[in-house]
Amino acid sequence: MRALFTLILTVIGFWAVEFALFRTGAYYTILRPDSSTGSVETYIHNELKRTRHNPHEVLTIGDSRMGFLPRYANEIQAETGYEYASIALGGATPRDWYFMLRGADPSANRYSAIVVAVEDYEDSEIGEDFSIRAADLSYVIGRLKYSDIPEFARSFHDPELEWAAVRGGLLKGLIYKRDFQDFLLHPTERIDMAKLARKDSYLWFYNYAGTNQSMEGVAVDFNNRTITVPPGFTDAQKAAYQLRFLAPPLPYTGMRTAYLHQWLGKIYEHYRGSKTRLVFLHLPRGPFIRPDQPALNPHSSVRELAGRPEVILMPEHIFDSIERPGLFIDQMHMNGPGSAEFSRILAKQVSHTLDAL
Amino acid sequence: MLFNTTQFFVFLAIVLALFYAAPRALRRVILLVASYFFYLSWNYKFVVLLLGLTVVDFVAAIAIERAPASRKKLFLLISLIANLGMLGFFKYYNFFADNLAQLLRYPPHSWTYSIILPLGISFHTFQSISYVVDVYRGEQAAIRNPIDYALYISFFPQLVAGPIVRAREFFSDLYAWKPPSQEEVLRGVLLIVLGLTKKMAFADQFAQIADSYFQNPGAHPGGFAAWSGVFAFAMQIFFDFSGYTDMAIGMALLLGFHFPVNFRRPYLAFSITDFWHRWHMSLSRWLRDYLYIPLGGNRHGRWMTYRNLILTMLLGGLWHGASWNFVIWGGYHGGLLSLERMMGRREFEKRPPIWLYPLRAAITFGLVCIGWVFFRAATFADSRYIISQLFHSGRQMQALVPRWLVYMTGASLLIALIEEKFEWTERLSRGPAWAYAAFMILLLLTIELIGVTEKPLPFVYFQF
Repeated sequence: MRALFTLILTVIGFWAVEFALFRTGAYYTILRPDSSTGSVETYIHNELKRTRHNPHEVLTIGDSRMGFLPRYANEIQAETGYEYASIALGGATPRDWYFMLRGADPSANRYSAIVVAVEDYEDSEIGEDFSIRAADLSYVIGRLKYSDIPEFARSFHDPELEWAAVRGGLLKGLIYKRDFQDFLLHPTERIDMAKLARKDSYLWFYNYAGTNQSMEGVAVDFNNRTITVPPGFTDAQKAAYQLRFLAPPLPYTGMRTAYLHQWLGKIYEHYRGSKTRLVFLHLPRGPFIRPDQPALNPHSSVRELAGRPEVILMPEHIFDSIERPGLFIDQMHMNGPGSAEFSRILAKQVSHTLDAL
Repeated sequence: MLFNTTQFFVFLAIVLALFYAAPRALRRVILLVASYFFYLSWNYKFVVLLLGLTVVDFVAAIAIERAPASRKKLFLLISLIANLGMLGFFKYYNFFADNLAQLLRYPPHSWTYSIILPLGISFHTFQSISYVVDVYRGEQAAIRNPIDYALYISFFPQLVAGPIVRAREFFSDLYAWKPPSQEEVLRGVLLIVLGLTKKMAFADQFAQIADSYFQNPGAHPGGFAAWSGVFAFAMQIFFDFSGYTDMAIGMALLLGFHFPVNFRRPYLAFSITDFWHRWHMSLSRWLRDYLYIPLGGNRHGRWMTYRNLILTMLLGGLWHGASWNFVIWGGYHGGLLSLERMMGRREFEKRPPIWLYPLRAAITFGLVCIGWVFFRAATFADSRYIISQLFHSGRQMQALVPRWLVYMTGASLLIALIEEKFEWTERLSRGPAWAYAAFMILLLLTIELIGVTEKPLPFVYFQF
């Protein structure tokens, strides 16, 4: 009995310490703010402690392509009537968005609307199976609860990743270990960095205006399938443009639809029955528009969700005016002026749509 | 199935559950089946070899016991030829064939074959030899139950990398089997977790540094880098092998068996003689009892003692692997042991006064580290280069070991020093529950946060 008692005490003690370190926010005080986990946590913490000036709040989410800068949207707050915020994060995927939204809005009642930026409304294949994206475990580890583990693990369609997700979900230290070992290299600098990020990072992000660098001078000839770049552009850049604009489109397999159904569906479930509207918007397609745009997919994830009362699908072409080389920094991402323009248009259009309900 | 994988722990849990749920008469069979399953999970082909040698030695031992005195030696020879023949073929054939080809100026690899080394062959053949020799000497009764003998040879906690258990130790546990006491259960679990911590949090971390240095020593010139790389390997091999042994001893304890201690804080040794009383003790004991003493030991004068020491260590070195580097490593240690004998045996067996101890321990550690260069370097040329760098000041101050790992090693040194004095990990399983739990929690957190868990790395001694 003594051995059993001691071993049970050990297990409970270990669980308690693990819980205290990784499930109470204690580790956040030393977490590297610019790591994947750190970025997610910083964005969520910033959003939770942000001072609200308006009862009508709109939160936007997406990945690095979501060049929404709330400061531009809030400059016209008097006109729109809504205060905008963003937790869009480079590298974050719809699976991560769900956990981020749940973290920023646990009771699903803080916002008038959640704006979710998607690449298109047709679930076009992108050449990467997001269901087996191992990095997602690092992005959302700070958000995972014990009850999430079965579904989260099953969402990785790969036995090794499923197992890694189960292990990591149960023992979060296994995922935090790289960060912890990095912390051990320079502990005092890290503590200072984390402290500074907790204090000021909201303003760093809010005041960020983007770069003025653009793709001005780049030309794509879709008929002759050639790309011309002005001096100063590298071969790697040109290759990336070729891939984006001239490579044949990937055949539709339904893989992305299945993935988006699951995670956009989870986001919808989180807000179902609440006063918050779920707004999907089609991101600007890029600096050049391919002639072979994807065909309408009536069974795509967002189109199916659009049938629900809480969901709004923004018109697809509201950002057409931004789709110019001068407003993009590369083949996918808007530059500073592009983001400013995009933010203003988004704020006006979304506010208008919400007011019209 | 590595000890540091989830599959192994599932396997262990099933074995423990079946073992304790089964009636006593069935328990040996369960352990034997589990051990063969464990061996099969590595390479099913070599199970025939393991089984074949088991049958030969089992029969040979009975024959030795029954045969008249004049014929006992014949059966002993048959067993020795079978064991050493297999070991020699699988482990040393290519080495000797290659050296012979070189000597006769044939192209390299003229007579070599692609031979896979059967897992654990160095250990189970040594264990078999010790058993048959003990029967021959009349120190051990021949085992009549083939299941018992097969279990002795294949018992999974020590099958692949020891410790090398003497037959009388194993069979006294088997025949007078008692369930482990409360303290033994706690100690067993503690040893398993401690071993896992040593392996995953220390050995595997140091392995990354040692590998990067030894794979291309020329890329890291200078004495500082060389000492860092060699230090990393010294730490890797200690934590790796002693970690494995701790786990083996812990698992055996949970099953009611008591394995001999294999490591006793070897890097705190104050002489090479003391080092070999602390490092891989079950091999040292085997070499002493079955090689050094039969060679004459120290019974035929000083020079024969030195010869015997060097010969024993040369063969001990060769036992580790078929390469001249291992032979040199063995010879180096044999030479140092002889030198210490020459300078006065007592001086190197007696603990020095406290003021002299740190210096003596540091010198011993340095000498051991130099030996590790031959053990780890891929070629003799690499060894020579690294040794030259160890004594080369150089301008570059490139340390390969991150600071936090040095701190962790410092902390473990402190723990080892306290352990040396108080043996408190021994006492932990008898002490208050909170103290045991606190230490275990520390170990588990270390594995979780420091351990290399992405891809389990094999144990160093599995290759031997």
